[in-house]
Formats: sequence, structure tokens, C-alpha cells
Amino acid sequence: MNTPQPGQHLVSSDPVKPQELTVVPQRGHLVALKTKDELRAALETIDVYVIEVPATYAGAILNIVKNAIPDLKTVNLQHLRRVVQLEFLPEHLQKKFSSSTQAWGRLSTTGDAIGEQNEGGKRPIELRYLLIAPTSLISSAELRECLMQNHPFLNSEISPHVHTIPVPALAPTSAEQAAKWTQEYWSISYKNTNPYGPHPSLLARAAADIESHAGTWLALARTAGEETKAQDLGEEIGCVIIEKTGNEKKILAVAGDARWCSMDGTPVPHKQGPGNVMAHAVMRAIGMVGRKRLRVADTNPGPESDSGGLNVASVNVYCDTPLTPIESDFFTDNIAPGGYLCVDLDIYVTHEPCVMCSMAILHSRFKRCVFGSRMPLTGGLTAEMPKSQEDGQENSVDAVSGLGYGIFWRPSELNWKFLAWEWESESEEGGALSVDLSIQA
Amino acid sequence: MNDQEKKYHERFMREAIKMAELALASDETPVGCVFVKDGEIIGRGMNDTNRSLNGTRHAEFIALAQILAEHPITVLKKTDLYVTVEPCVMCASALRQYGIRAVYFGCWNERFGGTGGVLTVHEDPGVDKPYPVVGGIFREEAIMMLRKFYVQENEKGEHNHLSLAPEPRQKKTRELKTDILPLDLDTLKT
Ligand SMILES: [Zn+2]
Ligand SMILES: [Zn+2]
Repeated sequence: MNTPQPGQHLVSSDPVKPQELTVVPQRGHLVALKTKDELRAALETIDVYVIEVPATYAGAILNIVKNAIPDLKTVNLQHLRRVVQLEFLPEHLQKKFSSSTQAWGRLSTTGDAIGEQNEGGKRPIELRYLLIAPTSLISSAELRECLMQNHPFLNSEISPHVHTIPVPALAPTSAEQAAKWTQEYWSISYKNTNPYGPHPSLLARAAADIESHAGTWLALARTAGEETKAQDLGEEIGCVIIEKTGNEKKILAVAGDARWCSMDGTPVPHKQGPGNVMAHAVMRAIGMVGRKRLRVADTNPGPESDSGGLNVASVNVYCDTPLTPIESDFFTDNIAPGGYLCVDLDIYVTHEPCVMCSMAILHSRFKRCVFGSRMPLTGGLTAEMPKSQEDGQENSVDAVSGLGYGIFWRPSELNWKFLAWEWESESEEGGALSVDLSIQA
Repeated sequence: MNDQEKKYHERFMREAIKMAELALASDETPVGCVFVKDGEIIGRGMNDTNRSLNGTRHAEFIALAQILAEHPITVLKKTDLYVTVEPCVMCASALRQYGIRAVYFGCWNERFGGTGGVLTVHEDPGVDKPYPVVGGIFREEAIMMLRKFYVQENEKGEHNHLSLAPEPRQKKTRELKTDILPLDLDTLKT
């Protein structure tokens, strides 16, 4: 337990030097979340034709195919190598192709280029495997017809043997994925890009920028959750909001979950149902930043009661003022005036935020988000699909996959996106706090 | 929906529209809502993001805070929401977690909608009970108010541009207002 006694973690010097915090940084590293589109791309395959030919004909045949199938230029095959040697193919294809290899040696009798190269009949003919085209563009009969009218098949005893194999439809989003696909499907080339998520180099730079202190902020978030839990006000879930400019770091908000805090500030007697959903740690921390911005604003926007003459509650149902010592420590005016929502800020949460909190992070325009433990039954950030959906069962969820929302990066649907990582703990006991998996963090 | 039911829902949607008009008058995105239990309005809300400098203070949250100050959370299980614009993903999830009985809304929210506009948080697989939604009640009125807001904001923009020295905060505030606004003018016309 690294919960400091109240008052001991007083480090509201500004900017905060993390080493002055009494929390023990969690050991671990960042793992970037996969976007919804990335996961979709990883699953999609298309069937393509592959044929075997002597190496010397490879270029000519691809040219012939290009002319014979005009639609070929409308499909993106750039991630697929078109000409591959047997040894660079996946094992199952090596077996399949070498068991059905054709009698190219006989070509030597026709007196063409192959024959000359193969003089004496000793030197083996170099073979290549050509990825011709998606099967959707031409029938195999038409393709065979076309090939028969050209060398090396023209006037030859050898007729083209057209294989059909599945390959990834879309480009890989990482070098690891390209390597994996090369072993499973076909030889894949990887360019350092990711059309389905943040650019890999941008992501790497961002991770390098925050990784050294992520463990500290997560430890602080954990302390916040432990403190509200200790006061019986909420679940053991916590959140920290950081402003990082260059090497300067400011802790703008620290909040624990307060769903079991009643309207008079005491714990509710019966912890049943969802509790106060608006008092999730993320919502409270975002509320604290808003309150700080109001405090330092050059113009007074007027009290809540002025907003349209609403009957405004006299109690703070949002619970966005400090409830514990650590929350109070950082509720200072350490925020520059003129800022806009949570633009350029980073948010650290002990657990994957629920759908509401994930969307609140998006609405608030955060720059980056790191969370400790996945919440496969309730989390809104990860994009892995629910098993039940794949099975065609509705309205059931299971603990192994996720809900499939991937809210952090859906730029074609939602008008903001941010970078998101999960924290892979390297400490023995694991960094995670124990909360029920069905809980909404 | 029979005539009597239609009248019932329209009565409360009219109240939600009144809240949206209030929002418009206070330079907030014109979204308004009322929560109804046993035929009585128990909470009213309008968008409050600009005044609070908090991007999560949507009309639904304002009304929920009012309700929960006076009622136990369980009251929401017997309560329906009437809101002029489809709840966003955030609010749709909050409502499901609280156990709302049903949601009635005016126009769809094609940028952030959580009950059919973009996502279907109200009925997706999940640990909380799904809830039914009915959209399209006084849809044109809801859209008309959003349109008025656009015009209002554009005129202000020009005014600022002509009369004031560049003031980043002003500009950003405007950005926020139109941003929370969920619909593009093009989709408003449809
Ligand atoms: Zn949450
Ligand atoms: Zn909302």
C-alpha cells in the first residue's frame, strides 16, 4: 500500500517535480491501443490468383495481366509483393506449391530462352510465384485463356496452374503485423504508415514524451482511488489530469471515484445500483479543470443560477470539488487563464473509462489518455469486438474481448480523436486495483 | 403511436423546446430537455458548456443534477427523457447506467449521437439494461433552433472580426459553441 497519510503528499509546488511526490511510480510501459479501423483491416482478406512461372517471364506476365484486367489499377495491392520466391512464402504455401510444381524442364525442347539458360538440363530453372489479381476481377477460366496466349504457355505442353489463396485486403499498420502476415498469408511489404490510426512515428514520439512519468501519474491516480474508497465514497478508481509542456509538468486535477457519495457528502448507506454515475473519477476530474478555468477567467461568466433562470441544485451533485486530502492538494489555481476545455492536456486513469467517460474525454478535447486495466465488459476506449457480436448473439458480453467502441479514434464519425495507451505493468503484484469487472469505471 | 399518446409526448417535447430557447437566449447551443415521471416534470436542463467551461455539461446532465439533488437515483427507472436533440454518446451511456425508462427526442445528432445517430449505446451489448428510444418528435422545430444559433453565431463572428482586436479567447468560445452543435447545415436541410 502506498497511500500516504493525509497531508504528507503535499506537493502543490508548481510545476510539480514528480520525484517530490510520495507515491511510488508504477513500473511498466505503454502499449498503444488498436483503433477500430485497424482491427477491421486486420480481419479483412481477399482471394487472389497465384501462378508459378520461370523467373525470366515474371515481368512480362505481370504486364500482360495489367493490360488484360483494366480494373486492376483500381485496387490497392501495394502491400502485397507481386513476385515472390518459394522460400519467402509461408510454409503451407511452400508445401502446396512445391507439391504441384510444373515440368518446366520440358520447355528447353522448345528452344526458347528458358531452354538456353537450362543448357545441359542440369541447372534448375529459377521459379517465381506471381500474385496476379483479386479473383473478383477475372474468372480463372478467362485468366487461363489469357495466359495461354502468351509465353511461356504459348504453344507449350504446360498449361498454367492457377492457385487461389486469401491475402490481407488492406495494408499492415505495423512492422510486426507485416511480419505476422508474411508468415500466415503472403509476402507483405510495410511502409511506415498507418491509414487506420495515428501515424506510427507520431505515436512513438508521443509515447517517448510521456512514458517516463506515466507510472507516476498512474500511481497518483491509484492513490486518489484508494482515498475515496477508504472514505467509503466510491470505488477504487482514480484519475489524474496533467498539463505537459516540454519538460514542464503540472498536475491540474486529481480525483477518485465518488459514486457512493450522498448529496450531503457522506457515504450512501446501501451501495446498490450504479450509484451517482456523474461522479465517476474522469467526470469529477474534468469538472475540477472547468472550475479552475472559471476561477482564473478574466471575465466572470456569472453563477450557475443565472443560466436561464434554472432551478439550480444547492448541492454539488457532480462532486467536482475535492473530497479527499490528495484531491485538495492539487485544487490550486495552477492553471493559465484563457485555456479551452482540456485541449493539450493528458488524462491518466487507473481503469479503462466507461463509454460515458470515454466520450467525456473526447468532448473535452484531451490530447492523450493512458489507463491501467482494461474493462472488457464496460470500457469505451478499446476497439476489440465483443465475442457475442461475432457469434451473432445479442445483448450479452463476455470478459475476454471488449465492447468494440474504440472511441479514441473514429475520425470519420466523431469530430475529435486522441492518442490512447494501456499500461502494461512490470511489477510482480501487478499495478491493477481490484474492482468488479462489471463495474463502469 | 395513437393520437392521445402523440399529444402526451408532444406536450413534454414542447417543454423541452422552451428549455432550448432559453439556451439560445443565453448563447448556448440550443438543446433543451425535461425528465418526466408519472406525467410530471421532475427536472429541466439546457446546454451549459460555454458558461461552465466544461464540455460535459450537456442539457441532460444539468437536469440530472437537479433531479438527484432531490430524489433517489432509483426514481430514474420510472422516468422518461424528452430532449430536443438526440442524446450524445456520453449522455446515452449515462442514461443507460442510471436506468432511464425511455428516451424521446427531436432531431438526430449525426456527429455525436449515441442512440442511433452515430452509435447505438442504448441497445448495444452491455451490462446495463437497454432502453427504448423514439426520435423525430418536433424534429423541424429542433433543427430550426440549431439553424438560428448558427446565424446568430455567424453574425457575432463578423461583428467581432470588424470591431475588435484579435482576441483568441473570443474565437475559441465561438469555436466551442458551434462545435458542440451536432449538425452541419447541410444535414439540417434534409
Ligand atoms: Zn465512467
Ligand atoms: Zn450529451
